[in-house]
Amino acid sequence: MTDRMKRNLSTSGRVLLLAAYLLLVILPIYWMMATSLKPHTEIIDAQNLTYFPQAITGENYDQLFSMYNYGSMLKNSVIISGSTAIVITLLSILGGYAFARYEFRGKGSMLMFFLLTQMIPGILVIIPLYVIFANAGLINKRFSLFIYYLVVNLPFCVITMRSFFERIPYTLEEAAFVDGCTRWQGLFKIILPIMFPGIVAVFVFAFIGSWNELIAGTIFISTSDMWTVPVGLKSLIGKYDVKWGVLMAGGVLALLPTAIMFAVMQRFVVEGLTAGAVKG
Amino acid sequence: MGWQIALYILLIVALFVLGIRLLRRYEKKHNKRFQVSRKLEPYLFIMPVLILLLLAFGYPLINSVVMSLQNYKLTQPGNSYFNNFGNFKTLFADRDIGLIIRNSLIYVVASVGMQFLLGMTLALALRRKFKGRGVYQAIVFLPWAFSAFVVGLMFRWSFNGEYGVVNDLLMKLGIITEKIAWLGTPGLSLLVVILAMIWMGVPFFAIMYLAALQSIPEDVYEAADIDGCGAVRRYFAITLPYIKPTVIMTLLLRTIWVFNSFDLIVVITGGGPANHSQTLPSYMYTRAFSGYDFGLASALGVILMVALGLYAVFFLKVTKYNKAGDF
Amino acid sequence: MKKRLVAALLCLALVLPITLAGAATGVELRFIDVSPSPVRQEYFEKTFAKFQQETGIAVAYESVPWDDAANKLTILGASNQLPDVITTWAGWLGQFTAANWVIPLKDYIAGTEAEYTDTVTKLVWKGENELYGDTYTVPDGMMVKGVFVRKDWAAEEGLELDPAKGWTYTEYFDTVRKLTNPEKNRYGTSFRGARGAFDPLFVYLQTFTGGRAYADDGSALFNSPEATEAYKIWNGLYLDGNAPKDSINWGFIEMVDNFTGGLTGTLINDSEVTATCIANMEDDEWMVMPMPASDVDGQIYNTINSPYAYSISANSQNPDAAWELIQFLTRPDNNIEYCKLTGLIPIKKDVGDDPFYGPDGYYATFMQQLNDPKLVVPCAFGPFSYTDMHQGMMHEEMQKYLLGQQDAEASLGYVAGELENRMKQYLADNPGSAVEQPKSLSD
Repeated sequence: MTDRMKRNLSTSGRVLLLAAYLLLVILPIYWMMATSLKPHTEIIDAQNLTYFPQAITGENYDQLFSMYNYGSMLKNSVIISGSTAIVITLLSILGGYAFARYEFRGKGSMLMFFLLTQMIPGILVIIPLYVIFANAGLINKRFSLFIYYLVVNLPFCVITMRSFFERIPYTLEEAAFVDGCTRWQGLFKIILPIMFPGIVAVFVFAFIGSWNELIAGTIFISTSDMWTVPVGLKSLIGKYDVKWGVLMAGGVLALLPTAIMFAVMQRFVVEGLTAGAVKG
Repeated sequence: MGWQIALYILLIVALFVLGIRLLRRYEKKHNKRFQVSRKLEPYLFIMPVLILLLLAFGYPLINSVVMSLQNYKLTQPGNSYFNNFGNFKTLFADRDIGLIIRNSLIYVVASVGMQFLLGMTLALALRRKFKGRGVYQAIVFLPWAFSAFVVGLMFRWSFNGEYGVVNDLLMKLGIITEKIAWLGTPGLSLLVVILAMIWMGVPFFAIMYLAALQSIPEDVYEAADIDGCGAVRRYFAITLPYIKPTVIMTLLLRTIWVFNSFDLIVVITGGGPANHSQTLPSYMYTRAFSGYDFGLASALGVILMVALGLYAVFFLKVTKYNKAGDF
Repeated sequence: MKKRLVAALLCLALVLPITLAGAATGVELRFIDVSPSPVRQEYFEKTFAKFQQETGIAVAYESVPWDDAANKLTILGASNQLPDVITTWAGWLGQFTAANWVIPLKDYIAGTEAEYTDTVTKLVWKGENELYGDTYTVPDGMMVKGVFVRKDWAAEEGLELDPAKGWTYTEYFDTVRKLTNPEKNRYGTSFRGARGAFDPLFVYLQTFTGGRAYADDGSALFNSPEATEAYKIWNGLYLDGNAPKDSINWGFIEMVDNFTGGLTGTLINDSEVTATCIANMEDDEWMVMPMPASDVDGQIYNTINSPYAYSISANSQNPDAAWELIQFLTRPDNNIEYCKLTGLIPIKKDVGDDPFYGPDGYYATFMQQLNDPKLVVPCAFGPFSYTDMHQGMMHEEMQKYLLGQQDAEASLGYVAGELENRMKQYLADNPGSAVEQPKSLSD
């Protein structure tokens, strides 16, 4: 086999693989979108499954906003998840840097503690927090969710950030120190720019982690005008029936912010910003 | 209130900037690098995170250990007393506990394993540039952005044996001739949960590995090409060692996360039929809220933490994580 | 100088959340709705506004999605944060009363009993007094179970179903079998195998025991040889293919979706489902039959509940104002409006001649059952302070039987054994208490 044939073979294999995977991803999403465009009677018609909406309708999207106040849910979710993600990113840069670049007493046990926080079942954290928030008057305030999402996502993000730091050779910084840079300058001028894809990734992780959280959302929030998107969508599941169309419409629209972020993120992560920088 | 959070963030950002400014000034004034003494530095960096986490998790961690040893009903918190490991005895006397442990293991190994394999494959396939790669990525990463309960509901509905789209599709394609009761058959119900979990989780692995792959310098590969390395050998000799810290950490974190997440199970099968898709955490959640028996739930929680803790220590030891990052 | 600024800022950042929080709390009642929908929220907010106009008391409307309601109320209760007026489901009362989260209402109700229908006074309140020693709720509306049937399918099979005449369980099972038609992809019944599966089954089993679940000493009666046979017949519907194979894991939602979606021919469910049928089906497609009469004694055993009854929480600082609110919500005009919106039957006698609840209305069969002298309300699982029986053990044991992992005797025997233990324990722990008795309007 010539090299060329080999390459062709591997290319076509790759294309096939990517296409198959795309199909697997798209089918459920397509099904959601199709459902969101059907009237309720068509959706629940058990004798007649339609793969394309017979009568395309926008009523589900319309109801989502006019009856269920989706706009306010989006607003709450964006404020809470956005602010959580910003603060988490800043704090994990600091924490991740320390874990990656220093040897210090208690490092192992601290890491273990971080992991431990990921193991404790969430409900055992929510109840004591609820009591504290209630006494501080924070119930039904976005702030309570902000704090909760901050602490539950932090350990993961710090550890992830650490692994991003660790991929950057220490020699880079050393070279900078030799050139007379301080540690801070080393961090800000040399490392962070290279790290940028990682930072963006951590931001997105933190954002998605808070964006989709449901249990704390139902516990800490008590009025529908403060509901986040998942809580609002959950309310579409009644005792006897599910508003499938509206729910799917809400699910599809809830993807928008993250989809935009992915589009932005892939520019950084994908275009291989780091590759060149590390090389130099 | 939104402005509360805004103010809070502003404060933290201001502190951040101010701290740096101060350091700079200090450095200029003394004409030397800022040295709190290198020993203290890492603690300073970690302090904010550590304080937050200790505040939030310290009490719950200790409290759940205490509760696990007590007869603690949420409805009668004033009436709790230590019951001589009664909760643990109850747990291990449960006649379905063996089945539930088995389910948990299958669930976590299959989900994480497949997520890892698919994620890695996807990342490798996406490493080289091609036309439309950006759009492709933006689409295939989407499943990760869904709410678990929306995905769960979607799967529960699609895998419904009677009016679900999956059976209909498989029959139209001639793959099956009779409707399959996915959610009503032991084994299959757990499979549906695992499929949903994999569907949602692959993008995470792909993103992490893709980012990691980008940091491998090209010249390493060039050298390998000269040596005439094959693709497989090249992968195991160069690629994998390079991204090993990421692989280890993602595997560890995701195992913990997947193991602990029960929302898909609760939504899709509710643990049924007859506990055949119940895992330890979903079982704990059900017990906590149907019996309000937080003593029992905490006991389960403690067992989970100990098991996961042992796993983490063992995993890090075996993979020699702390030696992996040095090049 | 700068250092001090930093210190000050740091302090501020830490203290901020606490100081900003404790803002205004006027004299205001809190009300929580456990099954929010835009319709309900609009009704409550409108009615609260009227209430404020008349009494000057403001009411804040809080809500939590139904799926998470029980969990949230539990956490609120455990941390003493329950709103003044809470909407409760009968299944939660054991826990709420045992934990003293709700207050007795007998003194408030005293003197006004005559305004309420017999179903409220003779069935609901009597039951609460038997189980918990006092009255703890005012029903928001009544619902009773019935059998929803595909009218058009029944006509195709030549079945004559007359709600006024009623039917027996034998006739009902027969109908289910006749409506099953694999060729047309039709099943006779929306079987329920998951959460709540035991509810309708428990009623059926008690048609063999005169409506009793336990003997006076707490031993279980519902696993007698006849009842065990009945258990086999009931589950036989599933095992013989009169219900989809999938239904072993169905809950409420699948049952209703499959009936309204045209897959199953009958559905045993609460009158509340009527609204869903009206919305999703044509009028000539469905009808409501009363619950089948017992094959043993001809009585109609049926459960009667209010879905989201009003209670006053023990946390309330203003229980009198809270009671005023409940009275306002249950005033005939407000209650009728509410019941029509939500598909319930009003709780006050003063319904007038509202055609909505007349013989030609959608609720005719339900109203007929409520007035039937043969109506008997059988016993509940027991006044236990936990509710895991609705979710765990019972339907899991039943599923094991359906999967062929154990026989009917073992399956029902295990459930009966568990419940018997709990009942006997309860009787021992609460001296002076007795097992519940079946109730009827003629008592």
